[in-house]
Amino acid sequence: MKIDAYLTAHAGKTPSRIALEEGNNSVSYEALEASVNDIASSMREFRHCRFAILEEMGIQYVKMLMAVYRSDNIAIPMPIEMPRISLEKILDNSHVRNIITTEVQYSKFGESFFERFGTVIIVSDDKPVRYIRKEFSIESNHPELKLVLYTSGTTGTPKGVMLSDKNLTTNAASIIEILGLTPGDKGALVISPHHAFGNSIINSHLMAGGCIAMGNMKFIGSVFSLIESGVTVFYGVPSTYRILLRYPDRFKKAFSNVKIAASAGGGMTKQIVRNIKELVPEIEILPMYGQTEATARLAYVPKEDVEEFIETIGKPIPGVILDVFDPKGQSVGPNVTAELVAKGDNILLGYLDDEIATKKKIMDGWMYTGDLAQKLPNGYFKLMGRKDDLVKIGDHLVNPREIEKTIENNNKVSAVFVVPVAHELMGTAICLMVIPEPETDIDTLFKFCRKNLPAHLYPKEILFIDHLPLTENGKICNRLIIEEYQNVKNCM
Amino acid sequence: MENIKTSIVNYLKDNSFMDKNTELEDADSLTQNGIIDSIGLLELLDHISEKYSIEIPEDMLIPENLDSLQGLTNMITNLTK
Repeated sequence: MKIDAYLTAHAGKTPSRIALEEGNNSVSYEALEASVNDIASSMREFRHCRFAILEEMGIQYVKMLMAVYRSDNIAIPMPIEMPRISLEKILDNSHVRNIITTEVQYSKFGESFFERFGTVIIVSDDKPVRYIRKEFSIESNHPELKLVLYTSGTTGTPKGVMLSDKNLTTNAASIIEILGLTPGDKGALVISPHHAFGNSIINSHLMAGGCIAMGNMKFIGSVFSLIESGVTVFYGVPSTYRILLRYPDRFKKAFSNVKIAASAGGGMTKQIVRNIKELVPEIEILPMYGQTEATARLAYVPKEDVEEFIETIGKPIPGVILDVFDPKGQSVGPNVTAELVAKGDNILLGYLDDEIATKKKIMDGWMYTGDLAQKLPNGYFKLMGRKDDLVKIGDHLVNPREIEKTIENNNKVSAVFVVPVAHELMGTAICLMVIPEPETDIDTLFKFCRKNLPAHLYPKEILFIDHLPLTENGKICNRLIIEEYQNVKNCM
Repeated sequence: MENIKTSIVNYLKDNSFMDKNTELEDADSLTQNGIIDSIGLLELLDHISEKYSIEIPEDMLIPENLDSLQGLTNMITNLTK
């Protein structure tokens, strides 16, 4: 079944049910279906062509996305919150000749931005769809290709993840199952809809026939009001929760009627879970793990295990198989660190116009996640850092995340980051950046490292810092840690 | 009033995506014009709370108060009364 077909089905069965809410505006399934058909009818002459979508989160964005699907074309959502130079890189990479946008974005980005496109379609609330230009070109695309999502990385060459109807529908169905979504549920979408997590919220709630309340994280008061409008499932990356938890009284009030607080895009910490549970004991916390390359989700921690297994990614979602493979592609036993691999109908078709990267990502039917993991004896999986983040320290291949955990778990510190630094003899040595607690003592830390870590991992230096060097979606990576280290050094 | 506004503009010039020579009208949207993002807004609020020794209740954290120079200036003026 096509992903937009569910919309038609719900428009037939429950026409007046509200599908989308944005501020004071809302749109029913019937009205949404009519708008989608209206926009799609103006695109019928295009046959399976790539269409960039340029619009911020909101009702209009969902209409355009569904219209591209409906007209059998290929959607390439632009992560509009990124700097223009990043958007241009993505446009270059995706070789896209057509774009659909709104009047507002057209005037904001300016005519010159749109010169690269052969076709420019403008959608507005109150006027018919109009063309600035129209130019048909023959494209040869993967026959199943429906959607191209760009990963959120801000450096290096962007990679377009190619997804099919089957990818989208199976992943949405799995999410509906683990969250128990029904037409009565209202999901809160306050993170970017142009990436995998946000996109999966749209698909799963529309497939379930429920409602999505759309907003953003800019104005905290407005976010709390949105939650209080009857939201039953709230979605956030860990930093979303960290930000909202700065206002504990309002958090308590706003989340008192929310059934599930779901997260993805980075590991939830014990501290976040504890803080939420203290304020709203009844709420179900549902941490999920995934990748854009897996459409969105791969694993989740079942509610009964959240307290005990918060530091794991839990078990695979329905329809997914996870395993841990050594460099030869052999499955390893429990408690051995190697690469996490996945299989299922949600695994990407490949990377757009990049066969080499595709062959590296999918081998023998398994997708290599690039994440290091261990199988636990109970069948759950625990992440051990990124494969790319392994560093050679004095000729030993070392996982910085494991060293950080060892130090964190055995010392009075809030967080520890391992920084690879150049070393005259070893090539690379490590320094530590530590977010201290009141009791943290540098000498004790040095002593601990001396006694518990191999000599080549004895830190050359320990620096105290005051905030986490995390990516926007709450992940830790070497690049940001090194950048932070350089900042701290420059300020000294 | 004018002092508060100048102080915010100076903060934004140093700490946001605003260029040194951007001319900003009092009612212009800071978020729609790409001057500030969600994390930037949080940092701005911390700055304001500290500088004016005020606590901003979360029900005031709405676009009317935060998304323009005018809104921010009025909010600070009201909270420091």
